[in-house]
Amino acid sequence: MGLCFGTFQEKYSQDMAIFRTRLQWGMLFAFIIFLLACPLFFSDRILTIMTMIGIAIISVHGLNILTGYCGQISIGHVGFMAVGAYISAILTAKLGWSFWTALPCAALAAGMAGLIFGLPSLKIKGFYLIMATVAAHFIIIWLILQIYDVTGGPDGLPVPKPKIGSIVLKSKGSYFYLVTAIACLSTLLTKNIVRTRAGRAFVAIRDNDLAAEVMGISLWSYKLQAFFIGCVYAGVAGALLVHYYAFASVDQFPFMDSVWYLGMLIVGGMGSNVGAIFGAISLKLLDELVTIVGPILSGAVAAPAAASLALITRGLVIIIFLIFEPRGLAHRWGMIKAYFKLWPFSHEE
Amino acid sequence: MTKFRLLPVVFVIIMLVALLIFPASAKAAKIMYIGGTMSLTGAYAEDSAAILAAYEDYMKYVNETKLLAPWRKEKFPADITLELLWRDDELKPAKALTIYEELKAKGMLVFRASGSPQALALKDRLKEDGFGAPSMATGPYLMTPPGTIFTYYPIYTDDLAAVADWFKEKWKETRKPRVAYLTADTAFGKSIEIPEMKAYLEKVGYEFVGSQYVPLVPTAPPTTQLMWLKEKKVDLVLGVMVNPGSQPTVKEMVRLGMGPHLEYKLTFACGTPSHLQIFLPAMGELGNGFVVGGGFPSWDEPCAGIKFCHELQEKYRPTKRVPNIMYVGGMVEAMIQVEALRLALKEVPFEKLKPIDVLNHGFYKIKNLETGDLSSTPLTYGPGKIEGVDMVRVDQILKGKIVKQGVWPCRHIYKR
Repeated sequence: MGLCFGTFQEKYSQDMAIFRTRLQWGMLFAFIIFLLACPLFFSDRILTIMTMIGIAIISVHGLNILTGYCGQISIGHVGFMAVGAYISAILTAKLGWSFWTALPCAALAAGMAGLIFGLPSLKIKGFYLIMATVAAHFIIIWLILQIYDVTGGPDGLPVPKPKIGSIVLKSKGSYFYLVTAIACLSTLLTKNIVRTRAGRAFVAIRDNDLAAEVMGISLWSYKLQAFFIGCVYAGVAGALLVHYYAFASVDQFPFMDSVWYLGMLIVGGMGSNVGAIFGAISLKLLDELVTIVGPILSGAVAAPAAASLALITRGLVIIIFLIFEPRGLAHRWGMIKAYFKLWPFSHEE
Repeated sequence: MTKFRLLPVVFVIIMLVALLIFPASAKAAKIMYIGGTMSLTGAYAEDSAAILAAYEDYMKYVNETKLLAPWRKEKFPADITLELLWRDDELKPAKALTIYEELKAKGMLVFRASGSPQALALKDRLKEDGFGAPSMATGPYLMTPPGTIFTYYPIYTDDLAAVADWFKEKWKETRKPRVAYLTADTAFGKSIEIPEMKAYLEKVGYEFVGSQYVPLVPTAPPTTQLMWLKEKKVDLVLGVMVNPGSQPTVKEMVRLGMGPHLEYKLTFACGTPSHLQIFLPAMGELGNGFVVGGGFPSWDEPCAGIKFCHELQEKYRPTKRVPNIMYVGGMVEAMIQVEALRLALKEVPFEKLKPIDVLNHGFYKIKNLETGDLSSTPLTYGPGKIEGVDMVRVDQILKGKIVKQGVWPCRHIYKR
């Protein structure tokens, strides 16, 4: 994180700290207070939107590790979310496990699925890897539909709401807290993962896998690690999603959502933690905006045409970002920060 | 610095977004909302657009005349105006949830769920909040356990059970007829593959052969699947498909000489939403013999409901009529919502009315709601009784026309 003039770090631990100044700690504290106060001031609708954004952030963090940092493009991310979702649903609904035990199992199961479907990444890359991950999505969904007795097949599975002791997290506010806490933890975890040896290896593989291998980085190990970690995040997001719906069904994991998650990463900025957050927030809010604008426009154009606005707008936004700001909102945010860091001596460009 | 001159513009855009997202004040005048979430983008876009059009027309009709239908004597309260609220959920459960919260905050007392994914996501929430909602989705998941989403045509297994009853009545040979599934390779298509359905078919005297699948929208003719049916000497094929799936399947059947009037005698039947009214204009006599269970009446049927739909379209959209038969579905949905509101208003004053009142005094009190034969029977709902109809209509294409074969009892196959 860039620091203002006059801030000096004297120890290595200070230099490595995520929050390094009093201002940063103050802002973090204010942010936590804001999050805690949200259910008091916001309507159920805003809380639902924020919960959905939180789940998207967790999922996009996973995709960011895999695609943004390690360069392994995956369009099967929602399939791995489905793995986590169904494992958690089965453990809680069929075996009576607690949500808190089922959640790590769901994450691990999704990670294991990621390892299996990540194996082709050792031999193929680019377009071919994309096709392999697409196949992963369809294989996972097909498998879920086949094991009717366990997953409920096409009928789906009713899922209990999470509990803390005897308190059921039923209200929108309580679930918002749960999702927000996990989203914050996942952000912190991602931030730390990319600073580890593995994180640096991911970046090296993304930038030039041949050079990385020559430097002694095991492509085999690190690519699979990236798949595992990325899918663990997807599993957690999937589990949170079905416990929120209180129902698990394959229809909740459409293939197109994987494409939109990738879109979030493009808009936010690949290979940046802030980018994953910005991308999830901006595309989800854009989605809400066009949903509201659609019926207003239907006075002028036919309702289906007005409704198609959502798809067109999202597609356009992604194209515009690819052309004009391929480094995403995170890069813009970096420029704004740099401007204020140098203020009042910022130079004109 | 020049780059940051755009910052005020960005700020204004953010403020506009915030203004649009935060709900406006709910109850102002004596307005009641109907509508809900629609799927105007995606696989059900055509159906949803027709449903939306029906909602619009019915709302205008009730507001202008205060009547509920030409065949009904009851009137809607004169001092209350209906308004239509809708949002496109793009068939996404997550969007359906936020749309639900938004419309609820706007003061909506009834809701509607469109496709299965949204119905699944909303089911629990609607029940918790005491919201009643008709839905164009119908499936066994709505009954495990019954929530507050109400159907107005039978679930797929009951559609096909009625077709099986119809076929068995016509069966002349001494041997058992052989039946198989040829269904869409999706959750919705496979929802008929439950042990209870197979048990019912065997109970009424069929020999069950097995299942074959086709993509929801086939990209190639399903020749292999059809040849399998031929090899297994199947007499009746049951499936759940949308029209883009059933049309190419029937075309290929005809090419292979399979059909009730062709060399290889085979009857192919689907449950609604494989609408004959859409199938017929596209296929003509090529579609002869195709059967649909649980459908709506055709546009040329001389029933009061269809006449009413024609009148409304003539009055409110004379130049852009809606040919899609789901207009009829939308009409039934709008009738259910308005009837629930009307009944609830008889028990609770407008100012005090809450969604739970509309559920308890409205939806649950709907008994024998006459839809002018738009639904196979008048609609009846109650706590735990979410299936509005008790009979299933079976239609077949014969000599290029939709011919009603009759109605058969709803077998309520799905027991869980």
